[in-house]
Amino acid sequence: MKISRRTTAIAIAGATAFALVATGCSSAAPGATDPNEKITLTVATFNDFGYSPELLAEYTELHPNVTVKQTKAKTSDDARANYFTKLGAGSGLADVEAVEIDWFAELLQYSDKLTDLSSDEVEGRWLDWKANAATDADGRLIAYGTDIGPQAICYRSDLFAAAGLPTDRAEVATLLTGDWDHYFDVGQDFVAKSDAAWYDSVGSIMQGKLNQEVETLESSDGEIIAGDNPVVSEAYNDILAQSPELSAHLGQWSEDWYAAFSNGAYATMLCPSWMLGIIEGEAPEVKGWDIADVYPNGGGNWGGSYLTVPAQGAHADAAKEFAAWLTAPEQQLKAFVKTGNFPSQVALQDSTELLAVTRPFFNDAPVGELMAGRAAAVPADAPFKGVKYFPVMTALQNALTRVDVEKSQDAKGSWAQFLKDIDALK
Amino acid sequence: MTATSTATAPRTANRRTRRRANAAATNKPSFLGYAFLVVVILGSLFPLYWSFLIGSGDASTLRNLDVNWLPGGNLLANFASVLENEAVGFWRALGNSLIVSTVVSVSVVLFSTLAGYAFAKLKFRGSRPLLIFVIATMAVPTQLGIVPLFIAMSQWFHLGGNILAVILPALVSAFGVFWMTQYLSQALPDELIEAARVDGANMIQTFWYIALPAARPAAAMLGLFIFIGTWTNFFWPFIILDSNNPTLPVALSLLQSNFFVDYSKVLAGVLLSTIPLLILFVVAGKQLVSGIMQGAVKG
Amino acid sequence: MTQSLAHDVDVTRTIPEERAIRRIAFGHRLSHWDVKLSPYLYISPFFILFAITGLFPLVYTGVVSLYDWHIIGGQGDFVGLKNFEWVLGQEKFWVALRNSFSIFILSAVPQIIIALVIAAILDQNLKAKTFWRMGVLVPYVVAPVAVALIFSNMFGDQYGLINNLLGRIGLDPVGWHSQVIPSHLAIATMVNFRWTGYNALIFLAAMQAIPRDYYEAASIDGASRIRQFFSITIPSLRPTLIFVIITSTIGGLQIFDEPRMYDSTGQGGASAQWMTITMYIYNQGFGVAGGGQFGHAAAAAWLLFLVIVIVGLINLVATRAIASNESRSAK
Repeated sequence: MKISRRTTAIAIAGATAFALVATGCSSAAPGATDPNEKITLTVATFNDFGYSPELLAEYTELHPNVTVKQTKAKTSDDARANYFTKLGAGSGLADVEAVEIDWFAELLQYSDKLTDLSSDEVEGRWLDWKANAATDADGRLIAYGTDIGPQAICYRSDLFAAAGLPTDRAEVATLLTGDWDHYFDVGQDFVAKSDAAWYDSVGSIMQGKLNQEVETLESSDGEIIAGDNPVVSEAYNDILAQSPELSAHLGQWSEDWYAAFSNGAYATMLCPSWMLGIIEGEAPEVKGWDIADVYPNGGGNWGGSYLTVPAQGAHADAAKEFAAWLTAPEQQLKAFVKTGNFPSQVALQDSTELLAVTRPFFNDAPVGELMAGRAAAVPADAPFKGVKYFPVMTALQNALTRVDVEKSQDAKGSWAQFLKDIDALK
Repeated sequence: MTATSTATAPRTANRRTRRRANAAATNKPSFLGYAFLVVVILGSLFPLYWSFLIGSGDASTLRNLDVNWLPGGNLLANFASVLENEAVGFWRALGNSLIVSTVVSVSVVLFSTLAGYAFAKLKFRGSRPLLIFVIATMAVPTQLGIVPLFIAMSQWFHLGGNILAVILPALVSAFGVFWMTQYLSQALPDELIEAARVDGANMIQTFWYIALPAARPAAAMLGLFIFIGTWTNFFWPFIILDSNNPTLPVALSLLQSNFFVDYSKVLAGVLLSTIPLLILFVVAGKQLVSGIMQGAVKG
Repeated sequence: MTQSLAHDVDVTRTIPEERAIRRIAFGHRLSHWDVKLSPYLYISPFFILFAITGLFPLVYTGVVSLYDWHIIGGQGDFVGLKNFEWVLGQEKFWVALRNSFSIFILSAVPQIIIALVIAAILDQNLKAKTFWRMGVLVPYVVAPVAVALIFSNMFGDQYGLINNLLGRIGLDPVGWHSQVIPSHLAIATMVNFRWTGYNALIFLAAMQAIPRDYYEAASIDGASRIRQFFSITIPSLRPTLIFVIITSTIGGLQIFDEPRMYDSTGQGGASAQWMTITMYIYNQGFGVAGGGQFGHAAAAAWLLFLVIVIVGLINLVATRAIASNESRSAK
């Protein structure tokens, strides 16, 4: 009797252990392309790509065996950290993972861990520069372009009116046409007549300035030159010279920055197309937001993303098909209507449907036409973004935040710290 | 006894001394003492109340500078949003935390009692240096080994994102061995063991029928501690798990990134996550208290 | 056992007869090995599992720290102590160290004092003892991540409750996230929130073990309660104080959950105002910008271990010396 009790106990322990190991080791089925096999595809994005639940449900209608799940990271930073950690871990990435242009070159180093996405279906879908950036050294297309970020100026017409500035879109465009100095000058005029600040954050202005140059933080052979490049230091000093009066002292992507969309802390903002949905979502009750078809120094682009299919996924083929569908002109157009993510697809650049899109929130602005015009104004030579671009840009943003937002260091001290920080990255 | 001591005290003892002696003897706390305790308790509970307050509001509640000390009506709606959100995976996280904490507690208690019994009651060569080694390892921070742990769990064993990766490193605890050794060396009389041996029991039978029952109180407390500790553990699960298979603390961090626009949902989720352990606390709080106090004395 | 002993005694007296018996009973031999081996068998699960899950990571961290090791790229070249040199040359490392110490001291000192006071009150003849004791322990069951999310909201720079209340009584808002010491205070508050009640109970247990006679004798001698506290209670708590201080040290220098969740970027602030050493290790290995450097992370982790050992030893020596001085002078 004693022995049987003990044996029972051992048997239970063994069974539990076995069950544990079994549940733990439940691995996903090997990549099957059986069209009738029920699978779930996960797509991981950040901010808002405009992939609404309705849009994703459309794919399930077309492919009834596929359920789609979307996970969103808060910022591109978080998405990047997750991507590289899971790439190192060898598992844990979604079937389709979004990548931002700023850290795309960094990811390209590990292109052998990404699925080859070349196919005839997507041949010629994108602008050349967009597609070339997504091709690795062996000529494999490893990412599909989603959107680009042509920039305009979003402004608060109510604050403009209160300060005696014109509120009509066309007039504002005329007012702000010029270079960055002109933009700041109009700003000084404004803040003299208003309690609000001129723009939201110095970080955004820095992005705006640097994205108009070709060699900024890194030289084209991959060296970090941010510390010595006069383009960077001049932009830095320029912005911080006027920021005490012009800036609303907010850090991008902070809780306070989100709150400020509705509380009228500033009058203008450098607005990439994908920002439109964010503003609308954060400040639905505000009536004064509008967009002007203008940008300091002509035109600029901020951001723009790709979709990749990590090779570690269990459903690589199905995921490739799904990614191709997501980045097809029809779907991207829907995303543009939803959240303002401007397409990078060639077919849409002159499409009448795109050009007819308006956005009621922004005073019925003809965003399709407006953003298409802004996209055309983007400088022909894209800024060079190498492997270390993202960490260096983060350090630069931190330097600006220390001076303008946290006010913990002065411009000189913060620059010295920036130099030390990028030294650590070399 | 109080009466005698005051009676034998010198007649010159004034009223003050007598009152003091009386107070010291009966050891009654002053009003100030109670007041201080009330403040402490309020302080302990306030953050939970705060998350209840914000969690029952909406996105604008946070930015409202006029603090409304009464809760809004949104709590259940916020709970629902949190529980339904796929990216956070709250139910899954709850299940995972339950599995992980239970398995780890059982394992730690079992192996610690086994080892504790051996160190406390069995004489064998090297028992002293080995025990000292065990105690020394308690000082090693867990943060030290995360890089190799990551490499091993994800790259060698392909357990990335698997809860086994969180369970395996936690199966034994030096603290647990120390705890059980201390307890058993005092609570298990040698005579009991001798008697069992005389009756013809072998070693494992002695352990199973004599040592385990004697260890039960301390084992239960150890189990409780390890359960709470594993449940609230964040650092390692944060690294190795992801949104597909989180434990509850990891789900909370996902909450922060997914609901950044509406912090009331974040705090509603936070409140939700504290409920399981609060329930445990209501049920087993008394044991927890006595466990800490007993451990303190024996340690 | 007692039987065989008696048997052995017989054997010594009748050796010639015993020499005839060659074979020892199988059961006897089995039980002999049972006794000899069982202890090792019983401690082996712990040691085996510990070797795999505790010792191996410890040793392998040392190995990784000697190589150029990237999270995706894998093991690179052998670089010897270069990773250590690199980490020690990083200003951010020293800032993180400074932060860890600052938070640790800002939390440990008030925590121990308050815990002692709470314990002293709990030691008295309270009504509803269990209620009070459980009440102070509630924070212990709230996950540190949860605590961090709540407190980070309360200590928000622009819309936080604390600054709101400060504003109402006419004080300037404090930069709880933007400045160094305020951020340390906020995080220390979180740590204290969790551990004060726990430590109070530990002190309480030790206090209850002090014989009441000491107090009675002291009262008769005319000592006030406060005086009794300092002259009797504190010295008697010496071993417990040492234990609490050392565990607080080991724990306090390692905190990660609270500072990591204190804001949503997890960087510890734009100038690493509240980045702790563990956050530094994490960021080196898995971090948001410039992570993936396992060699650096491993080196930093070993340095942290060294720091903890040194500080722990200093703590031990110091507390022993101070406490023994006190008890000597009290006598």
